[in-house]
Amino acid sequence: MKETNVGLGEQAVSREPEEVLVAYGLGSCLGVVMIDPASRLSGLLHALLPRTPETGERGAPNSSKYVESGIEHLLASLVREGAKPDRLIVRIVGGANMLMGAGMSQSFDIGTRNVEAAKTTLSRLNLPISVAVAEVGGHSGRTVRVYVAESRVTVRVIGEKEREI
Amino acid sequence: MYEVTLFDHDFLEMMKSIAGEGVLNAADGFSGMIGRQIRVSSPAVKLVPVLTIPQVVGKPDEDAVGVYLRFHGNLAGQIMLIIPHGKAMELADLIMGNAPGTTRQLGSLERSALGELGNLCGSFFLNTVAKLFDLGIHPSPPAVMVDMVAAILDIVVATMEGISEQALLFQANFVDGDRRVDTDFWVIPDLNSLQALAGKNLKS
Repeated sequence: MKETNVGLGEQAVSREPEEVLVAYGLGSCLGVVMIDPASRLSGLLHALLPRTPETGERGAPNSSKYVESGIEHLLASLVREGAKPDRLIVRIVGGANMLMGAGMSQSFDIGTRNVEAAKTTLSRLNLPISVAVAEVGGHSGRTVRVYVAESRVTVRVIGEKEREI
Repeated sequence: MYEVTLFDHDFLEMMKSIAGEGVLNAADGFSGMIGRQIRVSSPAVKLVPVLTIPQVVGKPDEDAVGVYLRFHGNLAGQIMLIIPHGKAMELADLIMGNAPGTTRQLGSLERSALGELGNLCGSFFLNTVAKLFDLGIHPSPPAVMVDMVAAILDIVVATMEGISEQALLFQANFVDGDRRVDTDFWVIPDLNSLQALAGKNLKS
């Protein structure tokens, strides 16, 4: 198995059977997984903030730093490689509020805003999504792995074993 | 968006001088807390792309303790103390006067002790800067997180990324005798308040 680290503000698409796409330690960041089992294609986005600021002075509009544009970009990349949107399995992981759990009450909750931005964007794009409470929100970081060969997704939380979602 | 030109050579040199003195004082706070003489190792001032911050400290999914403070006033920003999980338990023993190996998990008492350590280091650092520039700076109470390194650093990155694509990072490691404490001390000032600092003269 070859692990490919999908870092902050990055995304990756793969149909390489030996490859495992991984986003380490998602705190308030959001991991968005899209898998088309029929074409053996998997994609993973590691986004930082909900959407591009309206000032418009940021980078490219399809920047993977943002949940909204990152999801659009990931979908376009998968379709270009042969995926069909109506076959996609979508998972979102992360979006925790790390500071609230640590006792700092005055925190702008980027994690929750990231999750909301993902739900809104996926709904607009007519992508089916099933979000388990255990996979988003809360106060703990999560590592997400996408096993390309098996179209399988796992999550690991500190102090716990990797589990399939 | 703040221009990188803010960080010209003279300004970075001034920041290095401030960081050096501030971190030495932070180490004094650390020493006072644990009752052992702590020295500072490899202090540095770096201008780093915000998105690379999680790569500056070891492996992103290693377990660690993060003690986080914000500060406001004439100068604003963030302070983060990052301690590897095993080392945090050793430090908790030292702070609480326990025999080595007593702490086996980080409960509320141990977290509170580590929070106080971060609070002291941060306050000593900020006092130095406040005196040098005659500023009013007010730190928040510390927040303590036990989690993966990358998840802890998400807080710093998410806060910075809304403002700037680069961060000025004051970084140092603390040393206890021949042993590295492996504790990273970061100060990340908000770039807009640094602009005000750039126009101020140091108090002699």
